[in-house]
Amino acid sequence: MFIIHHFAFIIQLGEFVISFIMGALAYVSPLLMQAQGPLLKRFEPTLINFLMLSFLLFVVGVAGVLSRRNIIIIFMSIELILNAVNLNLIAFSRYLELNKDVLAAKGLAVNPLSGPVFTVFIIVVAAAEAAVGLGIVIAMFRNRETVAIDEIDLLKW
Amino acid sequence: MQLHGLEAALFYVLAIMTLFMAVFVVTARVAVHSALFLISTLVNVALLFILLRAEFVAGVQILVYVGGVMVLFLFVIMLVQTRAEEESRVRLYTGQTWPAVIIALLLAVSFYFAMNPAQAAFRPPEGPSVTVAESSERASAGAGSNISKDTQAVGEQLYRQAALPFEIASLLLLVAMVGAVLLARGTKQEKYYE
Repeated sequence: MFIIHHFAFIIQLGEFVISFIMGALAYVSPLLMQAQGPLLKRFEPTLINFLMLSFLLFVVGVAGVLSRRNIIIIFMSIELILNAVNLNLIAFSRYLELNKDVLAAKGLAVNPLSGPVFTVFIIVVAAAEAAVGLGIVIAMFRNRETVAIDEIDLLKW
Repeated sequence: MQLHGLEAALFYVLAIMTLFMAVFVVTARVAVHSALFLISTLVNVALLFILLRAEFVAGVQILVYVGGVMVLFLFVIMLVQTRAEEESRVRLYTGQTWPAVIIALLLAVSFYFAMNPAQAAFRPPEGPSVTVAESSERASAGAGSNISKDTQAVGEQLYRQAALPFEIASLLLLVAMVGAVLLARGTKQEKYYE
């Protein structure tokens, strides 16, 4: 863990570069994939892979909320949890969009755009929550000189 | 999810990076590192949104989270003294690490039992589903442009079906803004306003 945090910034920088390049590649990939053939067909991610990812993100967030002592990092873990939910909603939205015709033939009228709309509202609520929560953190730090949640026990009997 | 070839590989890269960065957010000792790792996680999730053809939400994610909320976090970290934690003079975790791990494992097990029977249901249903070529064709229909229609569709949905929640959300943001200003003001300012 020490080594990881020692090189935290290098890892982060490299990761940013990789993810931006890969994000750009995502746009040209429909052309490239035709050359690849059915080699990777087995490992193509479906809805269940996205659900797995969002679930793991959720679990990491829950573990952070339950185990960390710094209240700011607890807020960050809450943001992780909300992002997991967003990812879940968008994945379902895409799934419904791709299979809309099939589901309509089965008599299920779906609206795939509900996912992004809900996600926008979740982001709004997350921003409001962060603003108010961090305001409380500042007020608490001014009064108690601490951000450790086990020292903030004024209401504990 | 109709991700083929390089997009499929990209999904795995982004997924692994997202998870690693999320774990670093939770385990980092210095709060600023934690915030930077969280920025990284959020950018990765935004790229996953782009993979899922939700460009509008990806843009909102970058603008609101990375541009707004994370700056707020960094300012609060700047204002708050966490040196004792950084120099490992105090402990990083509450005594609840094991309960947290157990709860996470219980969640994992319940997820497995919830998903396993449903896995078949989440496969694409039988029948001709839309391929990527078709869907991107649908997304960029008209004038031969390559621009996605996602933002337009989401905007129409937002103002037609969800107009009232939209207004309520704006009110919520206003209330949150006023509340944050009220909570964070100092004693001098309190005297001044009273």
